[in-house]
Amino acid sequence: MNKLLKNYNDFDNLQKEVTTKRDHNRRLITICNGTGCNALKGKTVTKLLVDELKKQGVKDVSVLATGCHGFCEQGPIVVIRPENIFYKGIRPENVERIVSETIKKGKIIEELLYIDPKSGKHLVYEKDIPFYNNQKRILFGYNEFIDPTSIEDYISIGGYKALVHILREKISPLEIINIITESGLRGRGGAGFPTGKKWESAYKARSKDKIKYVICNADEGDPGAYANRSLLEGNPHSVLEGMIIGAYAVGAQQGYIYVRAEYPLAVEYFDKAIQHAREIGILGKTILNSGFSFDIKIAKGGGAFVCGESTALMASIEGKPGEPRVKHIHGTTSGLWDKPTVLNNVETWANVPLIINKSSDWYKKIGTEGSKGTKIFSLVGKINNTGLVEVPMGITLRDVVFNIGGGIKNGKKFKAIQIGGPSGGCIPEKYLNLPIDYDSLTDAGAMMGSGGMIVMDEGTCMVDVAKYFVNFLKNESCGKCTPCREGLVQMHGILTEITEGRGKDEDIELLEELAEIVKDTSLCQLGATAPNPILTTLRYFKDEYEAHIKDKKCPAHVCKSLITYNIDTKKCVGCQLCAKKCPVEAISGKAKQTHKINQKACIKCGICYENCKFKAVEVH
Amino acid sequence: MSDEKKSLASNSKHGSVLVIGGGIAGIQSALDLADSGFKVYLVESKPSIGGVMPQLDKTFPTNDCAMCILAPKLVSTGRHPNIELITYSDLKNIEGQLGNFLVTINKRARSVDESLCNGCGLCVENCLVRFKPQKPIKHDAKKDLSEKDLEIVDKIIQTCGKEPDSLIPVMQVINENYKYLPKSILAYIAQELEIPLSQVYHVATFYTSFSLKPRGKHTLRVCMGTACHVRGSPRVLDEIKRHLKIESGQTTNDGLFTLETVNCLGACALGPVVVVDDEYYPISSSKVEDFLKKIIKEDEQIA
Repeated sequence: MNKLLKNYNDFDNLQKEVTTKRDHNRRLITICNGTGCNALKGKTVTKLLVDELKKQGVKDVSVLATGCHGFCEQGPIVVIRPENIFYKGIRPENVERIVSETIKKGKIIEELLYIDPKSGKHLVYEKDIPFYNNQKRILFGYNEFIDPTSIEDYISIGGYKALVHILREKISPLEIINIITESGLRGRGGAGFPTGKKWESAYKARSKDKIKYVICNADEGDPGAYANRSLLEGNPHSVLEGMIIGAYAVGAQQGYIYVRAEYPLAVEYFDKAIQHAREIGILGKTILNSGFSFDIKIAKGGGAFVCGESTALMASIEGKPGEPRVKHIHGTTSGLWDKPTVLNNVETWANVPLIINKSSDWYKKIGTEGSKGTKIFSLVGKINNTGLVEVPMGITLRDVVFNIGGGIKNGKKFKAIQIGGPSGGCIPEKYLNLPIDYDSLTDAGAMMGSGGMIVMDEGTCMVDVAKYFVNFLKNESCGKCTPCREGLVQMHGILTEITEGRGKDEDIELLEELAEIVKDTSLCQLGATAPNPILTTLRYFKDEYEAHIKDKKCPAHVCKSLITYNIDTKKCVGCQLCAKKCPVEAISGKAKQTHKINQKACIKCGICYENCKFKAVEVH
Repeated sequence: MSDEKKSLASNSKHGSVLVIGGGIAGIQSALDLADSGFKVYLVESKPSIGGVMPQLDKTFPTNDCAMCILAPKLVSTGRHPNIELITYSDLKNIEGQLGNFLVTINKRARSVDESLCNGCGLCVENCLVRFKPQKPIKHDAKKDLSEKDLEIVDKIIQTCGKEPDSLIPVMQVINENYKYLPKSILAYIAQELEIPLSQVYHVATFYTSFSLKPRGKHTLRVCMGTACHVRGSPRVLDEIKRHLKIESGQTTNDGLFTLETVNCLGACALGPVVVVDDEYYPISSSKVEDFLKKIIKEDEQIA
């Protein structure tokens, strides 16, 4: 239970106290407890570390379970401070040595270090690793220094300073809105609407009973994007502080955060953050005796992708099915329960305290002409360094993929990068030097979206990818308007025909025509952007469509109906592994004799291909 | 076509067509057939033709108004000399073969002479029974719940509140508790929160995390996110389906597994990922069999 703060002085005292108590130069073992690392037994390792320290009698070293560090590929990640020694992929059996060698004797364990794939060198410190040193982690960098469940940790890194500053100096809402407008912050949810402008129209909007709302959109539905989740799991208070400042600026009394139910840890941590903030009086009735009151409720999503759309999200909070409405009137005038409402993305809110603390001039210097600040991307797919990366706007795709991401897995060739989730598009190799900002991505046919970057190599079939996204959106269409509901089914049907080898020459033209209609006539952005994956793949990878239709071949060997598995008689040694593993017993051949696949029985599951140790199974 | 026509022509009974169903498809077929010179019988079970289309606003892909397309067709169907409307009727039986069918139709009593009726609507206006208030059937949904359920549900409603925005949270907690949404409880929530049951069902069927069917002991959720997709999650799903002999959304006969897919779990670095009862497991298609066997074995050990 945290102590209630009654005024600004109380806050100053607390800040002084926790800053000395939580000196960042103290000896500390930080371990990532984000969802990614937890799936790799991060929690077990944390517990073992605590026990091991006790067992070996080390007293002056504490263990800090932090939020996501971003380098999910190498999890669970352990960083030993103050030296910042970086250990990756820690298993329970490594714990004993970390304590006995590194902590007690200061010796570095080489096997646990990260190896730079380019130079082959063992890198000791976090700052040397290319994945980290090419980023600009102004938002995400704090994650690895704090315990997300402790409000004191957040205050010790300067948390709630911006809010207290505003309340103490009685800075007027319009001034705050001006700062945000000047900083050039644009919505991080994907569309990139200027945040200051949004706040201003909500501030000016009249509401009869003076009720206004602010909402944090944490319904990160884009498959392959998890930046918002890691921010909520790693530093929930920064989002909370941003929301309180936003509420003060527009004059709202009640806030909501709409989180996906698939993110249980984010819900838990944010709930804790709210409780702690209430306990110390940063949230609730008259915050620190300033006369300004504000509170927040958590609404959990129900697994509907469309609820990431602002009007659908509001309908869902109201307890209705998440169906969007026509936006003649903006949410800022008539949103939740028909009251003026400001809805921003998690990342947008987290940027707010930073801008107030460091001034809009500082923020303006990062990024490009039209897009300021940094953006967190989830770099996933066929890439070496899967993880979350925070980069300044304007960085090129090549830098992200090859410098930070470390290139393509297994030395394969880069084919495309898919940006912006199902509404985004696939960008081919020739655009790799494109600087990332809102406008350049839109020009290339993709969009910023919630920051998912899925890297695809030569083993990814672009027609299959287009089919995947259309199928996804077909299932997620709420069914309210006809173009989206019916159009997507038709497009999926055509794409299925193509991938199963029944494509006709005129299909490409038909797809283009349908895509344009759906784009122009859908009610909300889900439908209006749904054809983007088809349009961009058609624009950049038409040859793959033609190969499927004319030659009945899948160049990437993905589409089941168009491939066959064969055993290379020269390479096969007759080890019988594939025959044993084959689920339908389609492989025949005695031990030490070459095997053969019975094409009639083969279900093309690819298990033989995966298991063969001699690469004797071929795909055609 | 001409050959077929000749062969039909040799048979004495031909030239008339029965169209079943007076929706837009039936109406258009009847009109086309009638215009080509066939005598058409259009059977419809409702008192009037038209089907669902009049209830729609716009039609795909031209976004034309539905009624504007339908209305002229309704009029021409009614006036066409070659079309005989048989409304308020049910098809009982079809016998015979190509060119020689015998159809039994049951025409329900309309108590109005259709040949004389001119559709003036006076009878509707003057009917005395029409304005008699109909009493809704009162049913207390509380009675359908066992005492234990009632206690649980009441407690949930108490913590979540009875505001309009409490409906989804209440349903989420119940869905977690029971692993699905029992019908009797839904009726009770509707009654307690004073929300129409239809709206409760609208919500229950809209969100994918709600299930109206009981789930199995273990819920397998296969991540179908893009990162998992390019790393081979469809093959993992196919393997699981083949082993458990169920489709996604179904439960195995022994009630052990329910298979579901999820859009993205945000564990993209581990893909393809399967979540079993909130535990994350990285997996590949060749490991599916061992993986399922392991779960079953662990279950047996606990038992």
